[in-house]
Amino acid sequence: MVRILRVEAITQRLQDRGWTQAQLAGAVGVSNQTVTNWLAGSFPRPRALLKLAVTLGLPIDKLVETRDVAEPVVAFRKKAGTRTTDQHINKARGIGYLLKPLVSMLPETRQLRTLITSPSCDYGQLRKAVEQTRSELGIGQHAVLSYNHLIGQFKKNAAILVPVLWGDKGNHENALHIRLPDEDVTFVFLNLDVKIEDFKFWMAHELAHVYTPELAGTEQGEDFADAFAGALLFPHECAEAAYREACGQSKSAMISVLSRYAHEHEVSLNTVYQQVKRFADQAGAQRLAIDDKTIHRVRNSVRAQTVSEALFDPLPPEASNYISAASSVFLSDFFVALGRMVKERGVGAGYIQQVLDVPLKDSMSIHGALVV
Amino acid sequence: MTTVLLDTNAYLRLAKRIRPMLGVPFGPKKYTLAVLGDVEAEVHRNAALQFKFPWFDEQVLVEERLAARIRLTAEDKLSIDVAAGVLRDAVLADPLRYMQGSGSPPSPVDCRVLAHGHVRDCIVTTDDLGMHLLAAEFGIRVWHGFEPLKALLNAKAITTPMVKEIYDALEANGDLPATWRKARHVKFSRVFGRSP
Repeated sequence: MVRILRVEAITQRLQDRGWTQAQLAGAVGVSNQTVTNWLAGSFPRPRALLKLAVTLGLPIDKLVETRDVAEPVVAFRKKAGTRTTDQHINKARGIGYLLKPLVSMLPETRQLRTLITSPSCDYGQLRKAVEQTRSELGIGQHAVLSYNHLIGQFKKNAAILVPVLWGDKGNHENALHIRLPDEDVTFVFLNLDVKIEDFKFWMAHELAHVYTPELAGTEQGEDFADAFAGALLFPHECAEAAYREACGQSKSAMISVLSRYAHEHEVSLNTVYQQVKRFADQAGAQRLAIDDKTIHRVRNSVRAQTVSEALFDPLPPEASNYISAASSVFLSDFFVALGRMVKERGVGAGYIQQVLDVPLKDSMSIHGALVV
Repeated sequence: MTTVLLDTNAYLRLAKRIRPMLGVPFGPKKYTLAVLGDVEAEVHRNAALQFKFPWFDEQVLVEERLAARIRLTAEDKLSIDVAAGVLRDAVLADPLRYMQGSGSPPSPVDCRVLAHGHVRDCIVTTDDLGMHLLAAEFGIRVWHGFEPLKALLNAKAITTPMVKEIYDALEANGDLPATWRKARHVKFSRVFGRSP
């Protein structure tokens, strides 16, 4: 890692304040020559760097440029009604940096990765990408895409699933994608405290990010991931079949048809509805006579089970059960690697608290289970 | 006067038995113990801490914390933001460095506490060894949790039975840090005797 001072920012700040280099040296408590050296390219020792930043009121990213290290790339699956701020992004990047030492503890991955080279939200191109993906999975366009198919794809593409229990409110995101470009590893945090019917869509959304690493963290990447997830879980052929069956029926019969498809494919009614709508638009056919509001009303009329409720009884689970589920259900090597860090390097609960973004009490339970 | 800023754990280890504790100068250097407002938030959002330390919300302690809380100017706040950013950046550049021997990389909150120490030129008291390492690197004065106890004892602001009581209570709760254990027969030999 190469770190250099942003000389322009320093000189600009001196100019703004009408300060000389000698005044800066006095304020920081170093010699004039030291300041001259800094401006000529040498880098301050930690305590001088701290004083320099505070004296000039320059945040670290404005004062120092870091080269030869790729920043973690982050993408969120936000909760409804939340807004992503710099604080969310910095926190997620911080987790990314903290995950770097964990990578050497992961099993070697040399698999052939799947990449979608020209990601596009165009209906026809999406259809092709989905056909290709399903063909690689060995399933046809009408087949139900199972959780195991999705989990297997994460594993194959060296994406580490990290199931977390972040609760159903409070946190900003329900899924967090952190790609470490230097290490060529992706971590996908999935909140299990969400409705089962939404979970498969989010997994497919995250898988799209894994297939398109160059788009991760961009608006375009989010749009593609949403479009790809819907098309992968409920492809053109399924949407066409559902459309033809529902067409011409009463509103309640239409909803019954779409609900049955949603149930069969273990996706939400909204996913089926949106895919059918896209099919109709693309085919130049009339949309089904149902609106978004009706679909959401029907969805919200029943309290859906969460993934964590389906996996654990009682809730919250014992730390050991939670760790076992990560390995057995999600085929994740995350806790295997974390366990190695705890045992081989003596890493404490505070690290677990920060990388999983959980309360200290929970991180201590997990730490206790990993030590055994 | 030298302000000694206690982090949340350091405060919780002492506050039940030493009363009054905050804002009272003691010893020739006029040490004065203080806490940040963050202590309040940290305990109140953590059910386990609230359960373990039910006395935390006793009126007299709430008032004491409020009265002794460090007041910050707008300039201080800005400087603390900058300093905390520099410290956190150092942690993230090499997190492994702070993870030896049950250590953890200092969290954003830990970095803010150290940043307060730097900006307000006070001594930060913490039993987190990762924070000690970071503080040493950046020249921030830092104490282990037993050091204010020792300073209070030297200043006769507390008695030897009180020191013993605090050690016994922490040990009984499984909350006696290794550094306190090591200090028992060295720094507090008058209380516990020399190492057998």
